[in-house]
Amino acid sequence: MVPAATVPRLLGAGVWPRPLRPHLLQSATPGRARPGGRTLASAATPAVSEPEDSIDVSDKILSQPLKHSDFFNVKELFSVRSLFDARVHLGHKAGCRHRFMEPYIFGSRLGQDIIDLEQTAAHLQLALNFMAHVAYRKGIILFVGRNRQFSHLIETTARNCGEYAHTRYFKGGLLTNAPLLLGPMVRLPDLIIFLHTLNNVFEPHVAVRDAAKMHIPTVGVVDTNCNPCLITYPIPGNDDSPPSIHLFCRLFQTTINRAKQKRRQMEALYRLQGPEGLGARGQGLAASPSLGA
Amino acid sequence: MARSRLETVGSVFSRTRDLIRAGVLNEKPLWFDIYNAFPPLREPVFRRPRLRYGKAKAAIQDILYPEDRIRAFVEKYIELQKLGETDEEKLFVETGKALLAAGVILRRVEARTQKEGGHVSWESEPTGVKPQTVLEKNQPLQEVPQDQHLETSEEQPKGLSPP
Repeated sequence: MVPAATVPRLLGAGVWPRPLRPHLLQSATPGRARPGGRTLASAATPAVSEPEDSIDVSDKILSQPLKHSDFFNVKELFSVRSLFDARVHLGHKAGCRHRFMEPYIFGSRLGQDIIDLEQTAAHLQLALNFMAHVAYRKGIILFVGRNRQFSHLIETTARNCGEYAHTRYFKGGLLTNAPLLLGPMVRLPDLIIFLHTLNNVFEPHVAVRDAAKMHIPTVGVVDTNCNPCLITYPIPGNDDSPPSIHLFCRLFQTTINRAKQKRRQMEALYRLQGPEGLGARGQGLAASPSLGA
Repeated sequence: MARSRLETVGSVFSRTRDLIRAGVLNEKPLWFDIYNAFPPLREPVFRRPRLRYGKAKAAIQDILYPEDRIRAFVEKYIELQKLGETDEEKLFVETGKALLAAGVILRRVEARTQKEGGHVSWESEPTGVKPQTVLEKNQPLQEVPQDQHLETSEEQPKGLSPP
């Protein structure tokens, strides 16, 4: 059954301050925490003795993944064929088409728009990579989706990743008026992932605009009737078919878990090595990005 | 925590970068370096969705296959047949005319049937038009018109039998 500690994280009207470590929220810097500062606070290892070494290690942990083009090897998780089999290429009818989705549409078959899967693959790779890096740096990820058919799936996906979900009615000032609605020292999400960009009345979800207001990057599955302008990393694809949403949820879950596991590996690696051998050995061992299958 | 809530001005990244440069935002957000290293294909700038006026149309083409041409002809043929017409020659001509009235898709087909005349040319005509690879896929489709005029045609469709 669900452990009691994780229940308030998912249910309710978007209650997502982490209840497990409330003391950290007051002690850490308000709002966004520094990457170095957060690593120091959350690692909590007694092996971190001198501040210079630990800062050096944390910088290495954070800067190294950015040097590889595909550090988490997200390319292997999907292919154009697998996207096609999951019916990601099916769009809405031509009358529902949004003007800004036209570049991503391959053509129209008997009135139904077909999304260009080559572009989708490129966008998906960028989005998964970004998501993985955010999870690697211990960012808070919020899954948003207002389609009631997949509400439970999105919540279970978030639970399996160890992240947050909000698939209910989105209250007005949840992001823009967070100190009032959620409490004084609340850390806002570092990434919002939209499984459905529209709400139940086929209007753009409020969180898209609010995330842009609050400088929060977004990843979103945009269908042919959605507006992809404000979404940082849009993924043109079908958001109505069950196979398609199941595929996206599976991909997101795998990516985030992979990134977190990689982070644990890197931290363990540098902790084991200690102050010596940070240079060559670290580079050699960390150069293999793919995890054991 | 400094933020500018102007989602219509630039992208999230450009606003954050400029706030950092101005010294208003002291600490870099978590995602800043990641965005720097892996920017998206299009910068997420706000655009106001404007309606298209006049005759401006979207640049999205229809996806049509060669078998759609055959489907259109077959459907029209059956439709005209249901109306009671029995003479095959007349049916061909009427179908061609009806499709020509509907659109210019079958003009080439229609012109060649009229030019050469008779169902002798009609059997060989699809093989002449379609490439070999498409023909193999079209075997089940072309069975339908074959069944239609097997009873009246004096020539067997040698060209269309499987190789």
